[in-house]
Amino acid sequence: MDPTTAMYVAQGVHGLAYGMLLFLVASGLTMVFGMMGILNIAHASFFMLSAYFSYQVLAVFGSFWLALLVAPVVAAAFGVLCERLLLRRVHAFGHMGELILTVGISLVILEGVKVFWGTESLPIHVPTILEGRLALGGLDYPVYRLFVIGLALVVLGLLAALLYTTRLGTVVRAAVSDAGMVNALGVNVPLVFMLVFGTGTWLAGVAGVVIAPILTVYPGLADQMGMDAFVVVVTGGLGSLWGAFLVSIILGELNSYGVQFVSQLAPVLMFVFMAIVLAFRPMGLFGERE
Amino acid sequence: MTSTARRWIGGSVALAALLAYPYLFGIYFTNVFVTFGIFALYAVSFNLLLGFTGLLSFGHAMFFGAGGYGTALALTHFKSLPLLPALVIGVAAAVALALLLSPLMVRLSGTAFSMLHLAFAQLMYVLALKLRAITGGEDGIGGFPVPPFRIPGLVSVNMKDPSSFYYFAAAVLGLSVFVLWFVTKTPFGSVMVGVRDNPKRVAYLGFRVPHTKAVVYLLSAGFAGVAGSVYALFQNLISADALHVANSFTPVTMTMIGGVGSFFGPILGAAIFGLISELTSRYTERVDLVVGLILILVIMYAPLGFMGFVDAVRARARTRFAPRGATEPAR
Amino acid sequence: MILETRDLSHDFDGLQVLARVNLSVRRGERHAVIGPNGAGKTTLFNVITGTYAPRSGRVFFKEEDVTGAPPHALVRLGMGRSFQITSTFPRLTAFQNVRMGILGRRGVRFSLLHMVDAMRDVTEEAEEVLRRINLTAERDLPARLLSYGKHRALEISLAMSTEPELVLLDEPTAGMSRDETRNAVDLIRRLTEGRTVIIVEHDMDVVFSLADRITVLHHGEILATGSPSEIKANQAVRDAYLGEVAD
Repeated sequence: MDPTTAMYVAQGVHGLAYGMLLFLVASGLTMVFGMMGILNIAHASFFMLSAYFSYQVLAVFGSFWLALLVAPVVAAAFGVLCERLLLRRVHAFGHMGELILTVGISLVILEGVKVFWGTESLPIHVPTILEGRLALGGLDYPVYRLFVIGLALVVLGLLAALLYTTRLGTVVRAAVSDAGMVNALGVNVPLVFMLVFGTGTWLAGVAGVVIAPILTVYPGLADQMGMDAFVVVVTGGLGSLWGAFLVSIILGELNSYGVQFVSQLAPVLMFVFMAIVLAFRPMGLFGERE
Repeated sequence: MTSTARRWIGGSVALAALLAYPYLFGIYFTNVFVTFGIFALYAVSFNLLLGFTGLLSFGHAMFFGAGGYGTALALTHFKSLPLLPALVIGVAAAVALALLLSPLMVRLSGTAFSMLHLAFAQLMYVLALKLRAITGGEDGIGGFPVPPFRIPGLVSVNMKDPSSFYYFAAAVLGLSVFVLWFVTKTPFGSVMVGVRDNPKRVAYLGFRVPHTKAVVYLLSAGFAGVAGSVYALFQNLISADALHVANSFTPVTMTMIGGVGSFFGPILGAAIFGLISELTSRYTERVDLVVGLILILVIMYAPLGFMGFVDAVRARARTRFAPRGATEPAR
Repeated sequence: MILETRDLSHDFDGLQVLARVNLSVRRGERHAVIGPNGAGKTTLFNVITGTYAPRSGRVFFKEEDVTGAPPHALVRLGMGRSFQITSTFPRLTAFQNVRMGILGRRGVRFSLLHMVDAMRDVTEEAEEVLRRINLTAERDLPARLLSYGKHRALEISLAMSTEPELVLLDEPTAGMSRDETRNAVDLIRRLTEGRTVIIVEHDMDVVFSLADRITVLHHGEILATGSPSEIKANQAVRDAYLGEVAD
């Protein structure tokens, strides 16, 4: 394969990897919105928190795999605590109160990590097994990127299986679509809330651990991902997993190729895309009119 | 002593204190006061949307920034531009931006409104960073001439002197706050509140809700632009930081702390916020952490902020000590 | 005819709610629309008052085609509406609520030059309205703290505040006790003097005491239209609806 095509394909793989991670983060965000009607502004900070936790686990135990196992769970636990102790209390005050509360939470997390880990960027090394490149179909791919895509697909496959084949999954999907109705059917909605919130945060946490070796762990980690995830959710349709999936991939590739060709204004591409979609479908690609 | 007489005396004392301030407290605190004034107006303009019309904007910084960049660019490129026109250009920039966005924004409410503002403000921030040639990128635009305040033939006041700038800023910001206060007291102000509480009924009383929202939107943006403009003149610098999402969250925090349900709440919130920042920054760099914690506490335990607390105390005092025939009008 | 609908039809995602409704309301009459739940009464109101445009068919108000016109335009043309679920300004006082209605009637929309509290004529008019609906004592009480009956009275007053030629009342006595209902009917009679009223109601006593003519709606179609005695005697109506209600 000639170098130009090789470069395009490489960009494509990078874009796909980022898109997958973006979907991991955005899926939780969109499901929480579908269920609770709020866009959790602190969602991306849990993503970052998990990255910091993984650094800590690595520093103490030296195992990336342990970090991958433990960090997202701890981050999810934090998330659930926030939901139970903080968000739930503010529910009566309406969506605005919840939104502003998540702003407060995100501020605390964003600054809190600086207190414990400082402001320097903390490198994380790719585990030895995943270093290097793999030759496939005449091209060299970084193994780690392939791992990222693979892991994301596995996790998402499990999530999809859970949602579409189990009874619990059906309940969750119904609750995301219409929490009030599900409540009237006698389902323990607060419990389902907790489950969805926790799982969504866990997914973001997995993305956080996985992206750490690529981007390093630093206090600004949440900024880019947070904005991207939010754009994904709004453009794909609030509460729609398929919409989030499609737009995540599109944005991942837009970012990747954008940096290549439009470089300076690449971040703007994303907003242009969002504006175009919203101009024709203000509720997002797969969203339902409120 | 009648309450009117009391108000006049109170007002006079406050005015005297305001006039004497720079001489009583020195340069450092004079500048602190100017910063407070800027953010107080910024927060009040924000609350015009939230507390009075029910619209929560997470992107108000873009109007603040438009005002700042408008004034800075005007003074950089038009060498002998006088002070007031420079201010007006900044405000015009903010209003122009609002005009551009209003057809879309006035048809939205709730979460959609909030988040789309976040998105647009972020877009502005990215543009400000990337279009280095125009905006100076991360470094921003600085060192532009700050013209004296001049009434031809009468007086020319050098704005580089902190006390002079203080008086100028106090006048501009004070007048702005007064104008906004007056707006809330007009029939239009009543309709605004109606839109907040029940837009459907407002439409069924013959009012055009999107048009009403548009006027509020333009007012809110324009006065945020005033704040941003004064900020640029004060710092002799404007950078992308003014457009950063943190600057959009600032008026939210100030308003919630001070009290979203009252006109003066945001002003109080700006003062408290300024105080907390001052005190916290002596011990740690993590001022935002404290701010975040306070925001969480306020939302959970005192959602109506400081003014809400004051109102509750007043209400309790009124029921206990009310003289017969007292007629305190409801706020 | 102050109001006419022609073959008005509407559906929600395929569920037919109104089917070729031809309603005619004469100027000055009190016209009741009755029918079982789900018959399409509120949808009919929504389509007439511009909440949404009908799937097909036309609405004529004062001989003008107003199909699909937005609420504020219809209000300015002379329509008024009260809602099944009370729609006032809950955090504002009764006085402020009434004043909002008066500002609406006077077309004071973008007035930015006067302080509203200083507008004495507006204040006096509001006090007068409060007197008429017996809410003077509750003048400074937030609307959400009013008793149900008084809150509904405020609702009706708001519907009437723009002095509409045609007012549509959606179940004004819903959830009221015997006494409250009697007061409400009395209030409606007083306030709608000389105006045209279309009223949706389930309380048959109210219907038969207020209405000049009645239209019966069933499954989105008009079953019958006529005077109260004609409707009472109509067999199809008895089978479908009245038979369930004590005569």
